[in-house]
Amino acid sequence: MTVTPVAPVAVRPSLRQRLGTPWLIVRRLLAVPVVLFFLAGIVFVAMRLLPGSPATSLAAGGASGDTSAAEITRNQARINEALGLDQSLAHQYGDFLHSLVTFDLGSSFFGGTKVTSLLGGSLPATIELTVAAMLIAVGLGLVTGVIAALRKDTWVDSSIRTAGTIGFSLPWFALGVLAVVVFGVWLGWLPVIGRLPNQLDYKPFTNFVLLDAILQNRPELVWPWIQHLILPATTLALSMAGFITRIVRASVLEVLGDDFVRTARMKGLSGGQILRRHVLRNSSLPIVTVLGLQFGSLLGGSVITETVFSYPGVGNQLVNAILQRDYPVVQGAALAIALLFVLVNVVVDLLYLVLDPRLRKA
Amino acid sequence: MTAAAEPLLSIRGLRVEFDVPGGRLPAVGGIDLDLGAGEVVAIVGESGSGKSALSMSLVGLNRGPRAHITGTAMLHGTDLIAASEEKLRSVRGKDVAVVFQDALAALNPTQKVGAQISEMLRTHQKLSRKAAWARSVELLREVGIANPEQRAKAYPHQLSGGMRQRVMIAIGLANEPGVLIADEPTTALDVTIQAQVLRLLKRLQTDHGTTIVLITHDLGVVAEVADRVAVMYAGRIVEQGSRDQVLFAPQHPYTKALLSSVPRIDGPAQDRLPAIAGSPLTGVTRPPGCAFAPRCAFTHEACLPAPPALLHRYGQPGQLDACVLGPDRNLVAVP
Repeated sequence: MTVTPVAPVAVRPSLRQRLGTPWLIVRRLLAVPVVLFFLAGIVFVAMRLLPGSPATSLAAGGASGDTSAAEITRNQARINEALGLDQSLAHQYGDFLHSLVTFDLGSSFFGGTKVTSLLGGSLPATIELTVAAMLIAVGLGLVTGVIAALRKDTWVDSSIRTAGTIGFSLPWFALGVLAVVVFGVWLGWLPVIGRLPNQLDYKPFTNFVLLDAILQNRPELVWPWIQHLILPATTLALSMAGFITRIVRASVLEVLGDDFVRTARMKGLSGGQILRRHVLRNSSLPIVTVLGLQFGSLLGGSVITETVFSYPGVGNQLVNAILQRDYPVVQGAALAIALLFVLVNVVVDLLYLVLDPRLRKA
Repeated sequence: MTAAAEPLLSIRGLRVEFDVPGGRLPAVGGIDLDLGAGEVVAIVGESGSGKSALSMSLVGLNRGPRAHITGTAMLHGTDLIAASEEKLRSVRGKDVAVVFQDALAALNPTQKVGAQISEMLRTHQKLSRKAAWARSVELLREVGIANPEQRAKAYPHQLSGGMRQRVMIAIGLANEPGVLIADEPTTALDVTIQAQVLRLLKRLQTDHGTTIVLITHDLGVVAEVADRVAVMYAGRIVEQGSRDQVLFAPQHPYTKALLSSVPRIDGPAQDRLPAIAGSPLTGVTRPPGCAFAPRCAFTHEACLPAPPALLHRYGQPGQLDACVLGPDRNLVAVP
């Protein structure tokens, strides 16, 4: 008996279909500058809506007891003129946009350091912190979430879920202070201030410690770096981990009920094989979505965590700059944080395409 | 065709019960069935008649804390019901495979179909990645997929429904299992594709001598490919025999009612198809007697005390049924 071949559908996909995936990526990347443009505008306006001005901080800061009020006012006027703050808002915004497109974010009002070089030091530190926190959170959340799903409705499941809820509900500052007191002060196990001990004589090149340790062949930098990173990163990670645990559990449970998991069992695969080859990949989509969104709150948390641990990152810098009304630094730091968030979410979008072939059509 | 002298798979006293809120649901209530090598046995019944529960217990796919499965199912000296999960893993996919309905859901959406066939091969055979892939392409060709080299690289969503079901069949046949359970393999397909897939199953069964357990509610499918038929009602087999016996000389009132509710091209034109009054038993409690009695047009008080046994009564040689009433609707003396 001969086989009736199935009528072939168009084997060669259309041009649009073939362009589909790269086009999707390009479109996603094109949106990045647009997002940043609007964000820059919002930060610009928000800063100027805040009461107080850089001139007040500067003039008051330099004033000794015998400076008269009139003198302070004169100083403020001089400062405003020097910083360009006597210009109209529209003019200032124009200058700001001009500096943006030339990638020159101006200089700090306090000390005159270039904002780009300030960020060059602090942004890598924040990236290290948030990426480390993300890794800890994903590792912890994935393992606990999968275990909870596999042990559904047992005491293991309920303990993990309770722990996750607690982790998720603890505020960063409370957790951070607790970590400082317990592990830094009482137990003395881990350092609680800064990023590296001063005596190590770290000469930043890329400002990513791990990268520099490799480039400069200084392996002795790595361990102290990790020690300094553990507490702030874990502080930051716990709430995210609690959230990921819940998502992973729900997502794995859903996929475990899918028909193709039954097919995998029918094939004679072991539980571990089914989990690795069939369940994890298919349950990763909601998890990855959450990662992208949670990265935003991670960045928000880094502002608090960096302050608690005196960690020299963008968040710490941002807080100080806001208090001093150091407009260029605030704008630069906010843009840097936004850029990080947007980029992470672009990566998440691209991960979708890697993880789920069904999404690859334009 | 009657059951071979030495059955390949021998099911005895199979019971499947599930814990549900409110008690235990008897999905399969004690079944004896022999499957000969190389025959196609259709198990026919309505939704909830226990046909899927029966077939899934043969591969242990409905095991779980809420399932109570007892009885025996002997295949090559192994009791599939009592076998450990580990032992069963070596049977699944190798000696007994399943072709599921709705291949779109039953295939992993994130893996190429070639990889999914390869996985089946490599789980039970020592094959290199490359060799398994080559064999997968061959299997795709064998199940009638044109351009198999390209198709192997496709993801399930890129294939048509008929092709997906063929992929599912290729997975089922990959290790040339002795028994292939086809669980409503054509339900999700167009009528024309249904016929193609059924012919394919029949051809493969002839070529490889595979025993096929065909789970279906579609009597048209039964007429097309089955050698023998077992009709299930409320977890029991109520009639069993060759395809022609069951389709053309049914004994049990349920089989008769089922057949008369199917439109026939050679029968008299009817305004309305007769339907079976009432609805199938789905609850945890079952009447002590014949489960079909509440819906049967010929219920007799002899139907009520105990479920009638599946015996050869008034049918043709080899034909079994579970109705205490004879062809003239009188009581039959049970030997």
